[in-house]
Amino acid sequence: MSKYSIIGTNTPRVDSPAKATGRALYADDIKLPGMLHGQILRSPLAHARILNIDISKAAALPGVKAVITGEDTPKVKFGNWRLFPDTQDEYPLAVDKVRFIGDEVAAVVAIDNDLACEALDLIKVEYEELPANFSVDESMAPGAPVIHDYRPDNISLNRKIEYGDLVKGFAEADFIAENTFEVHAVSHAYMEPCACVAQSDDDGRVTLWTSTQVPYIVQCLLASTLGLRENDVRVIKPVVGGGFGGKMELRAWEFCAAFLARRTGKPVKFRLSRTDELAYGRRRHGMKLYSKVGFKKDGTITAKDFRADLDGGAYNSMGPTATFLCGNFGAMLYRYPNYRYNGYHIYTNKPPAGAMRGFGAPQALFASETQMNMAAEALGLDPIEIRIKNAMVPGDQIPDVATVSSCGFIECLQEVAKMSGWKAKRAACAESRDGKGMGVGCYSFISGGVFNWLYTQYTFSAAEIRAFEDGTVHLLTPATDIGQGSDTTLKQILAEELGLRMEDIRLTVADTSVTPQSDLGTWGSRVTLMGGNAVRDAAAKIKKALAGVVSLKFDLNVIHDIGFKDGKIFPVTRPDRCLTFGQAVHMHQKFKRGEPLVARGYYVPRGKGLVTPAFSFGAQVAEVQVDRETGIVKVEKMYTAHDCGTVINPMSVDGQLEGSIEMGLGYALCERFVMDKGRTLNTTFLDYKVPTALDMPPGESVCIETFESEGPFGAKEAGEGLVSPTAPAIAEAISQATGYRFKDLPITPEKVLEGIGGLRKV
Amino acid sequence: MPLPKFKYLAPKTWEEACAMLAQYKGKVRVMAGGTDLLIKMSLGAAAPEYVIGLKNIPGLDYIKYDQTKGLTLGPLALLADVADHPMIKEKYDAVAHAASVTATVQVRNMGTVAGNICNAAPSADNIPALMALDAEVTLARLGGKRTVKLDDFFQGPGKTVMEPEELLEKITVPAPLPGSGTAYLKISPRSKVDIAAVGVGAHLVMAGDVCQMARIVLGAVAPVPMRARKAESLLTGQQLTTDLINQTAAQAADEARPITDVRTTAEYRKTMVYVLTRRAINACAQKALPPCAK
Ligand SMILES: Cc1cc2nc3c(=O)[nH]c(=O)nc-3n(C[C@H](O)[C@H](O)[C@H](O)COP(=O)(O)OP(=O)(O)OC[C@H]3O[C@@H](n4cnc5c(N)ncnc54)[C@H](O)[C@@H]3O)c2cc1C
Repeated sequence: MSKYSIIGTNTPRVDSPAKATGRALYADDIKLPGMLHGQILRSPLAHARILNIDISKAAALPGVKAVITGEDTPKVKFGNWRLFPDTQDEYPLAVDKVRFIGDEVAAVVAIDNDLACEALDLIKVEYEELPANFSVDESMAPGAPVIHDYRPDNISLNRKIEYGDLVKGFAEADFIAENTFEVHAVSHAYMEPCACVAQSDDDGRVTLWTSTQVPYIVQCLLASTLGLRENDVRVIKPVVGGGFGGKMELRAWEFCAAFLARRTGKPVKFRLSRTDELAYGRRRHGMKLYSKVGFKKDGTITAKDFRADLDGGAYNSMGPTATFLCGNFGAMLYRYPNYRYNGYHIYTNKPPAGAMRGFGAPQALFASETQMNMAAEALGLDPIEIRIKNAMVPGDQIPDVATVSSCGFIECLQEVAKMSGWKAKRAACAESRDGKGMGVGCYSFISGGVFNWLYTQYTFSAAEIRAFEDGTVHLLTPATDIGQGSDTTLKQILAEELGLRMEDIRLTVADTSVTPQSDLGTWGSRVTLMGGNAVRDAAAKIKKALAGVVSLKFDLNVIHDIGFKDGKIFPVTRPDRCLTFGQAVHMHQKFKRGEPLVARGYYVPRGKGLVTPAFSFGAQVAEVQVDRETGIVKVEKMYTAHDCGTVINPMSVDGQLEGSIEMGLGYALCERFVMDKGRTLNTTFLDYKVPTALDMPPGESVCIETFESEGPFGAKEAGEGLVSPTAPAIAEAISQATGYRFKDLPITPEKVLEGIGGLRKV
Repeated sequence: MPLPKFKYLAPKTWEEACAMLAQYKGKVRVMAGGTDLLIKMSLGAAAPEYVIGLKNIPGLDYIKYDQTKGLTLGPLALLADVADHPMIKEKYDAVAHAASVTATVQVRNMGTVAGNICNAAPSADNIPALMALDAEVTLARLGGKRTVKLDDFFQGPGKTVMEPEELLEKITVPAPLPGSGTAYLKISPRSKVDIAAVGVGAHLVMAGDVCQMARIVLGAVAPVPMRARKAESLLTGQQLTTDLINQTAAQAADEARPITDVRTTAEYRKTMVYVLTRRAINACAQKALPPCAK
């Protein structure tokens, strides 16, 4: 039997009844008395100088309460990388220049949304159109139009990782694989388009309810762009319908709502449409990846030289982090004794790419996993065996960057081979000519980032617990549940620690004026580990106080361990001498003469390198059936074995896995932006194709449980890494099925037919 | 874009609807399920001052069958009901199947076959199947009626021979002949829920292994759903052989006039016309009703 009461048990999500019944309140559900509705005027041109903006007609329209342009704002640039201010390259509203179709130029608020839309049409902007770059190659060409003056070469930044001796490494190789891969931009396609409501109050503070993953970051950047102090801004996260990295920055409408609420004295709402999101929204970076890897005859890797050109779009957004992480993930999974990475983040006149689930890993791993499969083929080795031969084990390092602590990668590979019947089935696919294929892909991912680009002087995560004599506690956490389930996970962790039930815990979350400073938000799979550790730190303080009460009450020898279980507190060896949780709080309260029992906990990763306190690992096998006449790929089954440390909530981990496979399918097979000179042509879900429930293959999975000493109860991440192995696994399976090697995504039916020579001429 | 303002009219009888249509001619649109119309309006592609909703008129969602008259669908016959109807499934397999692969459950519960026809999208799923079966529509106006074969109904994307003051009153499909087999096949390369990138409807009447009559209709490869007449003529009166079927499919691909758009390329469409035509002919031959005597 498990030593835990709640950790590791299937625990229904605390937010599901409200969501299933429609009671959950999202930002767009918020309606305040006198609320105004905002709309944003966007640039119709990919690159242009703003010569003049005439707002007079719009401002004169009855019902319109304010119209602003960049000139009305304090003109402070923002960007999450406060540590390196020159990376902060975006104004809330364009100043002087627009750099992509959709760049925000002006904002209107009116008494209703129809009027606000009408007013947009009355704003007259005079542009001088400039030549533009629509691809990395165009931006890098000599004499290309310059998108930001401070970067005349259009390279916004270059990140490097290098260790070992590349020349020596390649000299030792018997076989060198050298390939180029190309991956495309995709949308987060979160269910809830962005929305926010701002209100300024008599206390001189502005409050913003916003659909965000990072309330604290929005608070910081909103304050600086408005010219306020951080404490003058309150950010509250309502229920959020997904983010996947697309809601992890301050955005123009958040600024406009707050600015206009202060200017008009009325609450202001902005909401985006799906078309806004698809046409102008953040996206995963498209990349060109050049990779050269040396192998010995037996498959041992000797060196890797890796370069990524990221199509950053018009602004940095979260590109700097993606650029670095891409190189980090390029060095993960296998022991690369000699390694060099060069990542270039390149400006183009397209909607900016930002953070997206996997954060550089899906791209890096599509390249390195596909290349691993190609190398196995070239060397006549089994793809899983060549991986086991090179697999990382606990203690392995990326010098000066990261150290692998817990790691069950080899076990994942062995398990996935076993559960999928790899050897026999893969051989059968190779024999058959009927379009069946089987492929493998792997991943590793971070459990939260160590890098502090926001340059916060608060902790990375925090928690406050208030204990009550009725036997309940109140958890205040800045952690940001955007649908991934952290409210449930954190409650589970606290319930386990204090020996309480889920229903004994009340929760207040992600309100920067109420929940303790601070939390960097939901991204990089950080919340279970970092938020969980902060909760445990606070819980330990409560436990210490209450253990003291029980000691005193029963006059216990100091050597006793005190247990917390089933609502009771007791010496572990004499469980009969117990107080209920409520009684203990009551007595503590009395002893402290009325002072409430409150504790705060914190977490900051220290001594954990540059990247993360803990890495997850996993391996996945895909079985596909390719219709060789239509090029249509049917994914028949997915097998996954993954190491996320201790599993806190199996249901939740399964949900993450299924969602990841769905996203991975879209990335591999059908999702893409169809663009023509910076204009997105598929701006609805009619033509931006996200896989649906009907496209989901059945699957089997196993968790390889390791114990991660830095994680709460041994847990690490399970929400993000899983998105990476699916595309390379499917690509390998298709390559086996068709005999044609796919090195670019997405693998559309058209490409399959083109690859196997099955297209008719027009 | 918000839905523009309009006045909603809800006639209680068919005559009232015809009268309103005549009265507001040019400023009005008819709405069945609204799954095309309302989206067009919110995208700014249609801005009628008035919308006539048909749903308050009782009894328009009928599905009838008669040995001599064949199948009749009322203007509000739902995609979901047509897809599920046992008689249609038995006698007009392609019609039921086309309805069942149109859109999603939610849309099929709102949308109608008549709406799909009147909307006249080149990619509309129900048209190739119905056209392959030689269906016709009855158009009504205040004080008059006419029937038009689907073959002659479409003029371009979103354009039909229907006059502004006309309503589609019913769709009629002749009773199936002995030996007839029908099929509708669609390719949406990127997902199970998708607009057709290519659709092929076919109808063969077989006597043993000889094809007596063939109709092949291609969707999404021309401005209107189109008959592949030369391909049809290759089959007529011939014994079905693999070679002939391949030849016919290649002919259909030649006749198709596809374009490259956001959904797929012209090359891919042509290739799929070939593949689907071949598969559809085979399916018709297999599904042919009890054969007529040779
Ligand atoms: C998410 C989604 C997915 C879709 N997928 C598909 C798909 O896969 N395949 C496909 O073919 N279509 C698809 N469609 C389009 C649409 O659902 C179908 O065309 C549907 O059959 C339209 O029927 P309706 O009753 O809703 O038509 P409406 O929107 O009510 O009307 C459509 C047009 O027909 C006219 N009209 C309707 N009834 C009459 C009448 N009796 N007399 C005269 N004019 C009339 C209207 O004025 C309008 O111009 C999809 C739509 C959506 C929203």
